[in-house]
Amino acid sequence: MLRYLASRLLQGLGLVMAVVILNFVLVHAAPGDPVETIAGASGGMSPELMAQLRTQYGLDRPLPVQLGVYLGKVLQGDLGYSYFFNMPVTAMIAERVPATLLLVLSAVLFAFLVGTALGVLSSRKPNGMLSQFITVLSMVGFAAPVFWVGIMLVILFASVLPILPVAGMRAIDSTGGGIADVLDVLHHLVLPALTLSLVYLAQYSRLARSSMLDVLGSDFIRTARAKGLADRIVLYKHALRNALLPVVTVLGLQFGNVLAGAILVETVFNWPGLGRLAFDSVLRRDYPTILGVLLFSSIVVVVMNQLTDLCYRLIDPRIKAA
Amino acid sequence: MNMTATLPAAAAAPRVRPPPEAPKAPKVEHPTVEAMRMFLRNPSAIAGMAMLAIVLAVAIAGPWIHPADPFEIRTAPLTPPFSEDAWLGSDYLGRDVLTTLIYGGRATLLVGAVAALLSVLIGITLGAFSGYYGGRVDGALMRVTEFFQVLPALLFAMVVVTLFSPSLVTVTLAIGIVSWTGTARLTRAEYMKYRGMEFVRAERAIGARDARIIWKVILPNALPPLVVSATLAVGAAILFEAGLSFLGLGDPNQMSWGLMIGSSRQYVLSCWWAVAFPGAAIFVTVLAVSLIGDGLNDALNPKLRER
Amino acid sequence: MPHLRSTRRAALLSAALLSASALLSLPAGAQEPKRGGTLVIGSTQTPRHLNGAVQSGIATAMPSTQLFASPLRFDDKWNPQPYLAESWKLADDGKSLTLNLRKNAVFHDGKPVTSEDVAFSIMAIKANHPFTTMLGPVEKVDTPDAHTAIIRMSTPHPAIVLAMSPALAPILPKHIYGDGQDLKSHPRNGADAVGSGPFRVTEFKPSQRIVMERFDQFFLPGKPYLDKLIMNITPDAASLMLSLERGEVQMQPFVTVPTDLRRLADNPRVSLTPKGYEGIGALNWLAFNLTKKPLSDVAVRKAIATAIDKNFITKALMGGFAAVADGPIVAGSPFATPDLVRYPLDLKKAAEMLDAAGYKAGANGERFKLTIDYLPGADAQQKNVAEYLRGQLKKVGITVEVRASADFPAWAKRLASHDFDMSMDTVFNWGDPVIGVHRTYLSTNIKPIVWTNTQSYSNPKVDELLDAAGSVVDATQRKAHYAAFEKIVTDELPIVFINQVPYHTAASKSLGNVPTTIWGPMSPLDEVYFK
Repeated sequence: MLRYLASRLLQGLGLVMAVVILNFVLVHAAPGDPVETIAGASGGMSPELMAQLRTQYGLDRPLPVQLGVYLGKVLQGDLGYSYFFNMPVTAMIAERVPATLLLVLSAVLFAFLVGTALGVLSSRKPNGMLSQFITVLSMVGFAAPVFWVGIMLVILFASVLPILPVAGMRAIDSTGGGIADVLDVLHHLVLPALTLSLVYLAQYSRLARSSMLDVLGSDFIRTARAKGLADRIVLYKHALRNALLPVVTVLGLQFGNVLAGAILVETVFNWPGLGRLAFDSVLRRDYPTILGVLLFSSIVVVVMNQLTDLCYRLIDPRIKAA
Repeated sequence: MNMTATLPAAAAAPRVRPPPEAPKAPKVEHPTVEAMRMFLRNPSAIAGMAMLAIVLAVAIAGPWIHPADPFEIRTAPLTPPFSEDAWLGSDYLGRDVLTTLIYGGRATLLVGAVAALLSVLIGITLGAFSGYYGGRVDGALMRVTEFFQVLPALLFAMVVVTLFSPSLVTVTLAIGIVSWTGTARLTRAEYMKYRGMEFVRAERAIGARDARIIWKVILPNALPPLVVSATLAVGAAILFEAGLSFLGLGDPNQMSWGLMIGSSRQYVLSCWWAVAFPGAAIFVTVLAVSLIGDGLNDALNPKLRER
Repeated sequence: MPHLRSTRRAALLSAALLSASALLSLPAGAQEPKRGGTLVIGSTQTPRHLNGAVQSGIATAMPSTQLFASPLRFDDKWNPQPYLAESWKLADDGKSLTLNLRKNAVFHDGKPVTSEDVAFSIMAIKANHPFTTMLGPVEKVDTPDAHTAIIRMSTPHPAIVLAMSPALAPILPKHIYGDGQDLKSHPRNGADAVGSGPFRVTEFKPSQRIVMERFDQFFLPGKPYLDKLIMNITPDAASLMLSLERGEVQMQPFVTVPTDLRRLADNPRVSLTPKGYEGIGALNWLAFNLTKKPLSDVAVRKAIATAIDKNFITKALMGGFAAVADGPIVAGSPFATPDLVRYPLDLKKAAEMLDAAGYKAGANGERFKLTIDYLPGADAQQKNVAEYLRGQLKKVGITVEVRASADFPAWAKRLASHDFDMSMDTVFNWGDPVIGVHRTYLSTNIKPIVWTNTQSYSNPKVDELLDAAGSVVDATQRKAHYAAFEKIVTDELPIVFINQVPYHTAASKSLGNVPTTIWGPMSPLDEVYFK
């Protein structure tokens, strides 16, 4: 088991490194550079100063040298300094991660609970109203662009029904701290989390329904049904557990798409998370931050994949034996 | 499986000499025809086809019937919908929303279709080689697949498009490059399944070349789930393009629905229609494509057919 | 017509504000503004850090001018006013500026502001600030005593007075910033910056907000009136507008978008003023690359100018909020002249001029093709005008292809490498023409960077005039030189000037003394208060 974990971990590390290297080469090889952004933010800059900045950032050295220096630093945990803000990238990412984590976890959790409940309930009557509603919902959830849904909600809650805030994570003049702050954040969390959850909601309800139906239709459930009520309850629970397997798998693999949904939703709602940081950094050619975010995201995906794999093996004894 | 088909050759039937001991098979309907029949009996699939037909008709024929420049400033800015000179209203610049809907479909659909095609081609090729050859080839190709799965798709596409200047070409390429892993995995699973089957082994025994086996023997059998995957890939590509355009990274010289939403976002409080209608268009298109994909899945899925 | 009504309203409002602020700046006997309150300012731009000595640009200037005091400040008539310096004298030969500092000024950490700090800061700005012409001829700063600083220059440099503005000459404490570290990346440029301005920084979250609190020992007793200033950064203009309308944000400077301006003008709780932006002097223009044919031919450039309807642009595209610009110096500047060469709209004449220049139309009506670029992110000022020009120039047989850039570096790269035919651009005068105007026309400034002479314009007479205007002390003479310069430039047309960027400050009506000096929001807000 341990050897297996170790080898998988090493593999994961290799993947993450590959991601970083590819993107490093990409951002540095393409036209336009961060010094120009800084010159733009300054309303103009002398050529001497620009050359100075380029030297300072090491942009005038050959690419392989820059790559080597960067990788060396990364392995020591130093992700460099943002070109734009001159702040350590690790600090900037660490500051933004909680916001994104909050957003994504609430969205996924909400979708998981509500979606699974809907799916399971509807599996009792596969052709009933609830089931059809779920089919429609799953279609809508997949087909509606997440940013469009977000903007529509903004319009609704900005003009028509101004009971929820449509931007930011906290009130503008908040002084932070205490229960009031927690409530403030939750208040701001509702709309972005709801928007992000729609896609997942659709998926989970459908998945739960279909896997529940699969399991319920299997032989041993039929036998249990024939045997009587008490057994039925126990086996219903068993069916539920089996039905949850695919949902859990999808849940774990979902984190690969975390950043994509987060970027769009955070942009619409001005949520100060990692997605926003990533987007702004791309536009500013802030290479260290872009690379830092890519690195972080890859690590999360690799870890989540491994965890999901592990969970799957632990839950389903059949797979462990395979 | 399909080995006992006795009807004349179609793409779905493998060309193989039946083994000598094969019993006389009962008359079965050709699988493709049966699938088509199931598909056409599915009401949501029909609905999907109808919606897609409308969208395509508007995108293709619309510009002929209503020639105009979607970027042109035609009326006063912020005209609400259902007005005299702007049926669906105008945006903050005075561009006609209806015109952008008609013309925007082209870029969106084109990018969606081509990007999906690209991703499916890459996916099938990689998956086929991986599943058929197994061993080290499989190992190496799986590493590549994992790499692209770990890479954050939207962020990477953003980086590629920004650095190489947004245009229809860069956007299509960027989307195609990050979207193929699902198809690859599916193809690999299918090829691994077929690789050990008798009719494939028979082909190998008579000395058929690998390339022939991969493309002419196995692929036709593996096609049904891949077709479903390809259809859904189109929907995903359309959403991806819309997302990129919304973020301001689409081709700025081509009017697309995502571009309309993105550029009007700042003024959404004053003209919700410039965001609502293009978004609805994307929604309808992707919905149509997914309904068709779902219908195909039901029709081609042998498990369901057996029920 | 709605927009005329709102411009008149805006004008009336600004007149009222002006007289109100004039009344309130009277000493004893006048109404005393109330102390207290938190002002939230909204902005879409995020500053890199808070130290205006090493970073120019609007985003940094706003917070920097609250935290750091400068020797001088300016009123709305371009007159310098005492600030850190109680009095000053520009020598008759223009080669030195003597600053007599207040005795009671201290930094946020309690240490006194001395001439050492001034000397250190001036030389640091000269070494690090992106604008090199500002302090170009400065050689050294003498400090005969603790409260006298004499800036010595190698040639006469009257621009030094405007270079002492809050946005351009923040005085840094030498004991903190003079520790040998590179000032551009100094660790104290952000959340723990220390200056002598009316506010101290208590929180700096990049891309989110900056919180500043009243500095109790500010050298102007009784000021600032506000307890707290929060600069809130919202990249999304629509939510910023919403926050302003809801009263969560009480002031938003640099509003230019016509739809927003119209909304605000119609809002009874919000006041809108175009005053406060004369100093920054923002011009929106169409630049030509003079190295490319046929743009190298001045007749072609004049024909293009004759085909542009500036009135349509300012009235229809910009909602009537922008004023037409016809020359390289903004109309509100003391150095501007009305005597310019103008090109009234005349499509027929434009076509004839092109014919005469030898560019006849082909069978399909096309004479030649040109590309046009524009600054991304400022659609109302840039993209829309580019699109308009495409349609308009087609009418005289010029096919224009609009090239979009994904982001600023992409556009900057194009201009820097002179890879363009025409481009829209927005460039600031920055007060004294020496700082922001010379760079565009000097033949010595043809460099591969944005916001230099990317047009490759070269006229020795213009170089002469600009050098003369920059080095003569007498204001009348300077004005004459600049007038001659403007005449030549509008005749040779390396650039077609289109409009002044219609910056407005939107503020809640409960706010008094909304900043309307020439530097507007880029000056200390020590006199702002809540009614």
